[in-house]
Amino acid sequence: MAGHLVGLKLALLRNGLRRSNWPQQVALALGALAGLPLAFGGFLLLALVPRAEPGAGLLLVEIVFLLLFLGWGLFPLLSFAGDASLDPSRLALLPLRPRELVTGLSLAACVGVAPLCTLVALGGAVVGFGTLGPGVVLVVAAVLVQFALCIVGSRALLTALSRQLRSRKARDLVIVLIAVTALGLNLALQVGARLAERLERADLEALRPLARVLGWLPTGLAARALVDAGEGRLLPAVVELAGAVLAVALLGWWWWRSLDRVLTTAEPAARQRSRQSPGLFPRPLRRLLPADQRGAVAAKELRYLARHPRLRVAWVVSCLLGLALVVFVAATEGLHQPWVVLGSLTMAFLASQNSLNQFGFDGAAYWTHVVAGADPRGDLAGRNLASMVTGMVTTTVLALVLAVVTGGWLYVPVALCLSLGVLALSLGVADVVSVRFAYPLPEDASNLWAVQGTGQGCLVGIVQMLAFAAQGMLLLPLLALVVVGLVLWTPALVLVCPLAVVYGWFLWRVGLGLGTAWLTGHQPELLTALSIRRAA
Amino acid sequence: MRGLRKSFGAKVAVGGIDLDIPHGCFFGLVGPNGAGKTTTLGMVTGLLRPDAGLVLIDGVEVWRDPVAAKRRIGVLPEDLRLFDRLSGAELLTYNGLLRGMPAAVVEARASELLEVLGLADAAGTLVVDYSHGMRKKIALAAALLHAPRVLFLDEPFEAIDPVSARTIRGLLERYTAGGATVIFSSHVMELVQRLCDRVGIMHLGRLIAEGPTDQVRAGRSLEDAFVELVGASHAGDEELGWLGTWSA
Repeated sequence: MAGHLVGLKLALLRNGLRRSNWPQQVALALGALAGLPLAFGGFLLLALVPRAEPGAGLLLVEIVFLLLFLGWGLFPLLSFAGDASLDPSRLALLPLRPRELVTGLSLAACVGVAPLCTLVALGGAVVGFGTLGPGVVLVVAAVLVQFALCIVGSRALLTALSRQLRSRKARDLVIVLIAVTALGLNLALQVGARLAERLERADLEALRPLARVLGWLPTGLAARALVDAGEGRLLPAVVELAGAVLAVALLGWWWWRSLDRVLTTAEPAARQRSRQSPGLFPRPLRRLLPADQRGAVAAKELRYLARHPRLRVAWVVSCLLGLALVVFVAATEGLHQPWVVLGSLTMAFLASQNSLNQFGFDGAAYWTHVVAGADPRGDLAGRNLASMVTGMVTTTVLALVLAVVTGGWLYVPVALCLSLGVLALSLGVADVVSVRFAYPLPEDASNLWAVQGTGQGCLVGIVQMLAFAAQGMLLLPLLALVVVGLVLWTPALVLVCPLAVVYGWFLWRVGLGLGTAWLTGHQPELLTALSIRRAA
Repeated sequence: MRGLRKSFGAKVAVGGIDLDIPHGCFFGLVGPNGAGKTTTLGMVTGLLRPDAGLVLIDGVEVWRDPVAAKRRIGVLPEDLRLFDRLSGAELLTYNGLLRGMPAAVVEARASELLEVLGLADAAGTLVVDYSHGMRKKIALAAALLHAPRVLFLDEPFEAIDPVSARTIRGLLERYTAGGATVIFSSHVMELVQRLCDRVGIMHLGRLIAEGPTDQVRAGRSLEDAFVELVGASHAGDEELGWLGTWSA
């Protein structure tokens, strides 16, 4: 049975590679390439540092073991929706006992890129601590126990939470967490690298209490067993190893119990809230949005912005970018200039970028508009209105925060007028591009990396680049005036305010008119473009 | 409809259909999978542009004056792609406002429809969390919201529980009694036989039989008439002999 489950995992890996299109294969290759440096980096770290810095060895191993354990716990939770082999309930209808499943799934979990990278990294510890004599057996055993802790702990946690992870809300949340974690990890690595450069021997002494605490965790016991065995203290190593093995056994028991429950308990029906619906129009905008088609489309777009995981990621990331800009400005002395407030325009530009494929999130549900005979002009104007609201809100907030940091309050009205112009002209371009070159977004909202397999990725890229270039070209006159205002003649900054609004409004009307002209009479074609997968 | 045709590449999905459906009729469109029912309904409702042919609804040519035609129709498609990040009540409001209905009318009708279709308790739940049957019901509510003269329903009773099915049947019967026309496709022959005044049988993109239900079935059950017209396959009768031998 275990062989079958290992075979199943291999088949899933193989078929996943075969079924995916080239962007997914490239992403997979990049993933493997990212895994390799981590694996060999871990190997070198564990192999070289203990010999160079014996004092730091134990703490280093404790931290690496703990990070590996946490990584194994966290990453499967994040990829649960996208990896069929992680959900034990898929095996519920097969006549298997939990014991067979635990054995089979444990072995299957050892197959794949992540286990291979983990084993390579842990191999470094054998090189770093392995000595001639009986100690080497204990060193290898400690490494294998750490590996087992990762595998069994990860699966136990995953199985215990599998029911919650299958819920739509959890999947939506996970998508946002992935994006934030990726950004956070990037930031942590950079800060960590800076701190490591400044680390001195005295700091290591200060960290000794931390080593003592970490040493009592299951991963710490394995780490201590490894170090003690490497340094010839065999008896303490055996005792510590026994403690770590006991932890593996306890995690295994938890896994077994969770599996038993998952396989034999019926899924409870989704709870439905009986509360009253808050209404289509978000409360703060109820009076602002018109109670017609434009207002309805704008309200729907805003609701989607708050509820669709991919759109949530987009605005969480742009908010984080805005925050990063503020932090960067605050931390850099040379940037404490009033004109830096104009940096808030990036928010206006970011807010308009989703509009280049503003029908994409509708997908095949766009039939609702077609069959309702919805007025294309109202439809486009509603979408533009939503982008305008979000763009102006984020730009205003960023402009005010930057004004607090730099004291450039006079530049706030300039930034707001310019952002109105930038948004309007970007939306004008988007209104043409989004109806002529619409493409469906992946149906699976829960998988951030899903790519629509239509083979049109290249065309989409080119069109988006051209649209981007067109927006840039149309922005040039405003940019030129701003530069003149900043460098040569300050009154130009006053002049640019009304000019930006009128210029943007004019280009938006042109774009809206062109978009409407094409969409009138071509709604079925747009629907076909948005539901390519169905027609294929 | 006259001479309605649609091909996808070399595959002819609908190969020329002529059909008249009288007002106030309960019309059933049946056919095996891939017969072209959904493609036909798509072309008739203005969702899929035909390669050739003419569709008139209530005297309005669908592809010449789509907006006027769409004002007269309500549609429940087979592929239930909805704006599922809206709640049931929000989806109905959205549909009503898209059709240019006054907000107060939309709200009143929506709450009544939610009540009748048993969705009042789930009005605030996102459609993405609805079961398949609930999605059918909310899509049906959206199709009925503007009181269309002609209703196109693709597999309306699929995944609907018996109690809701009876409610929907009653609602549709009352609706046609008031002069509206209902055109629906289904695989459930017994239901089509019971509900429909007229029936059309499609096979390989063509209408192979059409007329009053009793006339088409000619004394047999509609299922027998259908199987006879379409031609049943008897494959598997001999091959699966082991199915009667138990494994444990």
